[in-house]
Amino acid sequence: MERRQFLVGAAALASVGLGTEAAQAQTSDSRARVVIAGAGAAGLALASRLRRSMPNATITIIDAKKEHHFQPGFTLVGAGIWSPAQVTEQNVDYIPRGVEWVEAAVAEFDPDANGVVTTTGQRIDYDFLLVATGLNLNYEAIEGMDVSLIGRDGIASIYAGPEQANASATAIDRFIEAGGVGLFGRPAGEMKCAGAPLKITFITDDKARSRGRRGAVELVYNAHNPAVFSVAPVNDKVTEMFAGRDIAVNYSHVLKAIDPGAKQATYATESGDITLDYDFIHVVPPMRAPNAVLASPLPWQDGALAADGWIEADKATLRHPRYPNVFAVGDIAGVPRGKTAASVKWQVPVVVDNLVAETAGRSPQAVYNGYTSCPMVTGIGKAMLIEFDYDGNLIPSFPFIDPLKELWVSWLIEEKGLLGAYRAMLRGRA
Amino acid sequence: MSDFDLTTIYFILSESMGGWLWGFVALALLLLAAIVAGIMTLRKNDTPARRPLVAALVAGLVTTIIFTFLVPIWTLAGAGALAAPIDVLFAVLFALVPGGVVGSAVFVIMAFASNRRVAAIA
Ligand SMILES: Cc1cc2nc3c(=O)[nH]c(=O)nc-3n(C[C@H](O)[C@H](O)[C@H](O)COP(=O)(O)OP(=O)(O)OC[C@H]3O[C@@H](n4cnc5c(N)ncnc54)[C@H](O)[C@@H]3O)c2cc1C
Repeated sequence: MERRQFLVGAAALASVGLGTEAAQAQTSDSRARVVIAGAGAAGLALASRLRRSMPNATITIIDAKKEHHFQPGFTLVGAGIWSPAQVTEQNVDYIPRGVEWVEAAVAEFDPDANGVVTTTGQRIDYDFLLVATGLNLNYEAIEGMDVSLIGRDGIASIYAGPEQANASATAIDRFIEAGGVGLFGRPAGEMKCAGAPLKITFITDDKARSRGRRGAVELVYNAHNPAVFSVAPVNDKVTEMFAGRDIAVNYSHVLKAIDPGAKQATYATESGDITLDYDFIHVVPPMRAPNAVLASPLPWQDGALAADGWIEADKATLRHPRYPNVFAVGDIAGVPRGKTAASVKWQVPVVVDNLVAETAGRSPQAVYNGYTSCPMVTGIGKAMLIEFDYDGNLIPSFPFIDPLKELWVSWLIEEKGLLGAYRAMLRGRA
Repeated sequence: MSDFDLTTIYFILSESMGGWLWGFVALALLLLAAIVAGIMTLRKNDTPARRPLVAALVAGLVTTIIFTFLVPIWTLAGAGALAAPIDVLFAVLFALVPGGVVGSAVFVIMAFASNRRVAAIA
């Protein structure tokens, strides 16, 4: 920390000496060493913005993964209208020039000594650490469930990756053709894009209707608590739509085991375990922090976000309260809501602006309001553009789009707009 | 979306369309140049612009109407996906692109055709 304080002080003196407050507004001359753990949506967006606004800093990004997935597109792959290739890119195409990419994972976070150790044994010291490792999908927490089962025996899951989303599309089509009972739902804990389990339910309903097979399928949504969505007006709307579309809802049902051979799913409920027969099931796994984060001192030590290892962070600045030179951005951040790529788009400028301000000797001012967005696809060709903040207020970006109305224009944004906006975000331009 | 400014829109379009963006810009410039050349030709031949203008408007309008119903298909939705006035408005805005191209092309063709008519009369 001493080096960091020195750097901050030196930059502050430099800015006073130059006397160019306006020129310093967007950039910092700091020579700080910034390490970014994770080259996903948040990591790449951070790297791109930081490269431009801290030209003298040494920026290192650490991630073993070479492929980059546009995860919001997994829903459209699962719907059978996009191919896996449309959501698969290469990280190398988005790593900004002048940023060093260490192709390994972080094995150990050592915030007390301001360093990380990679899986290849390399120790990298930092002045600032930005943790953007995303989260782990914990399929194994569901007894009997395994990623390799996706696409077989009526089991689907659009979360695991593009190929699995594609296999899920085939499983949905087979189910609609054969008929029977289809189960949907979500895990109890924090999860990325909490709208996706609802979207895939709507999509299955819509596809069955358009093929004249709705009478042959029974659709059941198992909500993890007494609501289908955590934002009240959205919950009311989706509940009403489910009722109108003959989609049954079981409340407070959390999937805990699956028997693929017998096609039975066991749910933990308030009145004990219940086993339901199915012909098709869309599994959304519990989610938690990656192991290296879990094993570190970074997660919350108590409270609701502690068990799954979400990193302790101030919800307005994403700064770690115990390690002030550490920030958590994206899915890994232990803040209420905010686990969407759209949230990343708003979190990244806040963290970068504050880091730039701090290293330039100014006081950090930027604040993240919890912006979370989820274009709720309600069928092929229609969606509701739902955006909300920490308090569950709907905060529509476009005043002419009603967030609680099924519109083609919202679908247009989902199908034609999001990928370009996402790529622009990765380049730090949106 | 408070920072949804022109620069951001440019980068989003550029990332969405890749090289096509510049293809469209080139086409727009080409059409603009052709329209200017067409107007100058009409002036030179002392021919009224009414006929080519009306033809361009009719062709552009018909194309826009047809494409308004095709735009949802381009988004992998059914032709009947337009559910609200705002949907129709956006579909029309997109359909104006081919509508504008066809309208401009018709104007230019008719304007240059006046050359031939003038030559034939002479
Ligand atoms: C099915 C589905 C639908 C979705 N729909 C939407 C939507 O409609 N709208 C929306 O905005 N968002 C949506 N999302 C969510 C969105 O994709 C994520 O919130 C976003 O990708 C989070 O970005 P991130 O950088 O935090 O994590 P990621 O993009 O997942 O990236 C994390 C990176 O960290 C790396 N990593 C992991 N562990 C380590 C380690 N130990 N060391 C170094 N690197 C590590 C990983 O390899 C990965 O590259 C959806 C997601 C899914 C799965």
